[in-house]
Amino acid sequence: MAHVKEHKEPQAHTASESFLTPSKLFIPLSQHVGAICQPTVKVGDIVEEGSIIASSNVFVSAAIHAPLKAKVVKIDTLRHPILKRAQGIILEPIIETKNYPIRQTIDDLTKEQLIAIIKNSGVVGMGGAAFPTHIKLNSPKPIDTIIINGCECEPYLACDNRLMIENGKEILTGIEIAAKIIQPKKIIFAIENNKPEAIKKINQAINESTIKNVPVELKVMKSVFPQGGEKQLIQAITGIKIPGGKLPLDYGCLVTNVATCFAIHDAVYMDKPLTQRLVTFAGDALVTPKNIWIKIGTTLKELFDKKILEFKCEPKKIISGGPMMGTAIDGLDYPILKATGGFLFLAKSGNTKETACIRCSRCVDACPMNLLPLEYAKLAKKEEFDAAMNIYNVADCMECGLCAWSCPAKIPLTHYAKTIKKYCTKK
Amino acid sequence: MSLNISSSPHLNNDLTTQKVMMHVLIALAPAIAASMIFFRHKALFLLIICTLTSALCEQAITWLRKKPSTISDLSAAVSGILLALILPPATTWYAAVLASVFSIIIAKQLFGGLGANIFNPALMGRAFLMAAYPKMMTTYSLPYNVDALSGPTPLALNKFSQVVTPNWDLFIGNIPGSIGETSALCLIIGGVYLLILRIADWRVPLSLLVTSSLVAAIGYAFNPGLGSVAFHLLSGGMLLGALFMATDPVTTPITKTGRYIFGIGCGIMIMVLRYRSGLPEGVMYSILFMNCLTPLINRYTRPKRFGI
Repeated sequence: MAHVKEHKEPQAHTASESFLTPSKLFIPLSQHVGAICQPTVKVGDIVEEGSIIASSNVFVSAAIHAPLKAKVVKIDTLRHPILKRAQGIILEPIIETKNYPIRQTIDDLTKEQLIAIIKNSGVVGMGGAAFPTHIKLNSPKPIDTIIINGCECEPYLACDNRLMIENGKEILTGIEIAAKIIQPKKIIFAIENNKPEAIKKINQAINESTIKNVPVELKVMKSVFPQGGEKQLIQAITGIKIPGGKLPLDYGCLVTNVATCFAIHDAVYMDKPLTQRLVTFAGDALVTPKNIWIKIGTTLKELFDKKILEFKCEPKKIISGGPMMGTAIDGLDYPILKATGGFLFLAKSGNTKETACIRCSRCVDACPMNLLPLEYAKLAKKEEFDAAMNIYNVADCMECGLCAWSCPAKIPLTHYAKTIKKYCTKK
Repeated sequence: MSLNISSSPHLNNDLTTQKVMMHVLIALAPAIAASMIFFRHKALFLLIICTLTSALCEQAITWLRKKPSTISDLSAAVSGILLALILPPATTWYAAVLASVFSIIIAKQLFGGLGANIFNPALMGRAFLMAAYPKMMTTYSLPYNVDALSGPTPLALNKFSQVVTPNWDLFIGNIPGSIGETSALCLIIGGVYLLILRIADWRVPLSLLVTSSLVAAIGYAFNPGLGSVAFHLLSGGMLLGALFMATDPVTTPITKTGRYIFGIGCGIMIMVLRYRSGLPEGVMYSILFMNCLTPLINRYTRPKRFGI
């Protein structure tokens, strides 16, 4: 764990904007971990806003919905921020405002009905991994503690912070629904101490909320990276260390991101599927970094064409996600996915020459998973991937990036860990 | 638009190897100043010879191995200065050159260069001179009067003549000894600088000094002639070794537990050599001995897997 420079200004302090009328939508069929969806529409179809356009029968999957009333133009290979190339549906929206009904109460809904609504709305974890939420909420083991993750420890990103400030009430309603499904003994809302405004607003929302029978506690966390990592957060709050291969539910814990709670609220109270989200656009190559409500499938190119975002200088690096764990992409033709928290535009590529390891073990001290990055990097350089995996348990690595961040010799240690993991899973 | 698509993370902290070495040099500045005050032109002469020879050797080896020059990472400069600081003022120019060549070429570059050496290069240079020029390495000039007079170090005085040097002189450095090891005050200033900036890890110096103090306290309780705790901490190469040699990242363990073991081992070895060997001092050999054990310590102190 280490303190990484935050770079969260000015986007953490400016009100979010919205851009919900894109001229084209590029929706990849792979939005989350789990099975890839199959299209349920044909080229030429007119789809209604919020109707399912792709789904899968496989257990771990979530349906994909049309963000707007639109014409299906093409089903083709699209650019994908993580997979690089993936199948997707191209839509041409027909602008028409749809009014969503607002549900007055959820008291008459059973646990099963609530899970079905969430499933049909395609809600996934919006913190990064995008695990389908209906599966997480339908835990086969009893859950004592729900932890709401409002840490947002990645530098630059501020969308969760803005969401907590602007939509605290909806987040709490989403938590109430999750609590109704899971029946936990307690709910803990974790926010890092670098977000005083969000802490104030969420505290207020907790006091005003109608959650019954379960105590909701706001816990202010130290701002260190990666505090928002699932295992780190559970350890910091409950003291439980979850070993590799085990899940939080094995220990009676469930962690969910604030944006996911907001999406649960939309799904249950408004019957509105997950088709838009708040995304951070930041970095020193932008004139004004900001957070924008955006339809899933909108490309970066359109945002620049419509002058919603403007370059101050030519970027040297564009990152989908945060600077510690995100993926660098090679252009503006990439769409926003359900789990995209942000896009960063950096004026410097930030790459420095690698020099010899001086065995200072800053990577060892930084690693939140007790690994020895310098040792497995040495083996990886010799292409002894199996030895690295077996001796140094590289499988535990969650690729948080702290080892490479802390290295004075600028060795890409995280990259070596990824390489070892990839090589060993391929076989 | 040409975009870089390297793997994550996309941020670095701004510490580099060169900056680490620069901080070590800054931390050594007070000790260097003290050496010049007490040992005058002899100190300056040794510092220049050792640093220059070390830098030249580093450059020559990288040229021979057809590798990019590593001279700008300043590690050779640090080794050279540390070597000079642990030489007696009367060391001749050819001995200083030989020691520098041995430390950079044999002890460092032949093992693979920065990061791959097993032994601390500066200490290896001194160990080489101890074997090659034992007389020169045990003749110590008196401070301020480097050309005319010589006398035993406080440790030798205590061990062989049972004469105790006042703690104040040990603290300030007004005693015979290697040029950089005499002033405890200046070494502590530099050491604290390194520890506060977290350039050096505090575990090794702490465990080393605590262990030596404990052994010294027990020894003193049984036989006051062995020297007090303060005497042992302030005399000889104890502080220079604990703060600058045993904190060399390359030759010390990478795990936290390992660093404690390393420090404790050094502490015990130092006191055993001081009490029971033919030499008055034991810091150099103790650290070199623990350097050999470092790979073994690393192997047996691997951190436990998260959650298991």
